[in-house]
Amino acid sequence: MNHPQADQHMSLDHVAALEARVSEYGRELALLRERQSLDTRFLANISHDLRTPLTAIITHAEIMRDEILGPVSPRQRDSLTGIINSGRQLLEMVGEILTHARAAAHQIAVDRVEFSLEELLESLVDLNQSLIDRKGHTLEVDIQPRLPRVFADRDKVGHILSNLLGNAVQFTPDNGRIWIIVRTTTGELGQFLLVEVGDNGIGVAPEHHELIFQEFAQVDASTSRQHHGTGLGLSIARRFVELHHGRIWLESAPGAGSRFYFTLPVHGEGP
Amino acid sequence: MYGHVLIVEDNALVSSAMRILLEATGHTVTEAATTEQALAVFDNPDNPPDVALLDLTLPDGDGLTILTRLQELGRAPRICVAVTGHDDPEVRSRCLAAGCHDVLLKPVPARELARLVTAWMNPDDGGGHSDTIA
Repeated sequence: MNHPQADQHMSLDHVAALEARVSEYGRELALLRERQSLDTRFLANISHDLRTPLTAIITHAEIMRDEILGPVSPRQRDSLTGIINSGRQLLEMVGEILTHARAAAHQIAVDRVEFSLEELLESLVDLNQSLIDRKGHTLEVDIQPRLPRVFADRDKVGHILSNLLGNAVQFTPDNGRIWIIVRTTTGELGQFLLVEVGDNGIGVAPEHHELIFQEFAQVDASTSRQHHGTGLGLSIARRFVELHHGRIWLESAPGAGSRFYFTLPVHGEGP
Repeated sequence: MYGHVLIVEDNALVSSAMRILLEATGHTVTEAATTEQALAVFDNPDNPPDVALLDLTLPDGDGLTILTRLQELGRAPRICVAVTGHDDPEVRSRCLAAGCHDVLLKPVPARELARLVTAWMNPDDGGGHSDTIA
C-alpha cells in the first residue's frame, strides 16, 4: 500500500482501475456466498436422507435383538447390540450435521421459555452419570443459591451444556476431575448467568482456543480418530450461545485442564 | 390388546421394518405412502385402523393434513401419533395442537414402539405415552 501522500497524484485511470477491481471482488463475494448457501442446503438434504436408511437398519436390528422374531444366542445378541449402538452413534453425528446446516442457513429460531437451569443441569448430570462413573471421574456441581430462573431456549441451553459436559467427560483421561459452576453477575446489559464447565484434563494450547469453536475443527487428528465426532459440537454451541446474545470462551493451557465459560442473559434481552 | 395399525410412511425401508415389528407383536398392519393412500384406507368402513402412525413429510403433503381431513369427515382413528425425524419442540407442539396423541422420534426403539401400540389398543388404559421421546 502506498503512503497517502503519494496517492495525491493518482491518475483518474488508477481510480477507474481500482473501482473495476472493487466491483469484481463484489461479484466474487456474491458467488462465494451463493456457493456457501448451496453447500449448506446440500448438507441439510444429505443428512436428512441419511437418517432414513439408518432408522430402518436400527429398527431391524432391534427387532432381532429383542427376540421379537424368535430367540437369539447371547453372542448373536452382542453382535446385534453392536449394530444398534453403531447405528445410533452415526445417527447422532448425522443429527449434528443437520443442526449445523440449519444453523448456518439461519433456519434456527430461539424459542424462549422460563425455566430453572438447576433442574436442567440435574437431568443432564443424570444422563451422563453412568459414563462419568465408568471413566472414574468425579463431578462437582456448584450452583449459586437462589439462582434466578432464566428466560431462554431450554433445548438449546441443554444442547450447549450437554456438549461442554460431554467433551469434558470424553476428553479428560480416566479418574479426572470435572466441575460445573453457575453464578449470576451483572453487566452493562443487565443480569446474566455465568456458567463454567471445567476439567483437569489434557488442556488446549492458547493458539487453538479460537480454532476449536470453528466448524469441523479438531485440534489433533489422532484425538478425533480416538473420540468419534463431527467437530461441530462447539461450533453449534457457540451459535446457540450467540443466538441468546451470550458469549462463550475457553481458558486453558496444555496440561493445565480446560475451563469453558458461557454467559446467558437472565431475561433474554440482548444488546 | 391387538388391533389394526396404519403406518403412513413414504420410505419403504422404514415402513417395512415397522410392519415386521408390529405384525410380530400381533397387530394387523396396513401401509400407506402418501396422504391420498392414507385417506383411502378410511373409505372402507368395515376395517378402520385403531391407531395411525403418521410420518410428517410425505410426497403429496404434510402428514398432519391426514388427521385434519379425517377429523372433518368424523373418521379419525382413536389414536393418531406423529413419528418424526426432527427433535424439534416446534414440530412437537404443532403435532399436539393438530390432535396427535403423542409425538415419537425416529427411530423409535423397537420394544418401546411395540409396547406403546399395544397399550394404545386398550381403550381402558387411557393410552400410554412415550417417556423417553421428543
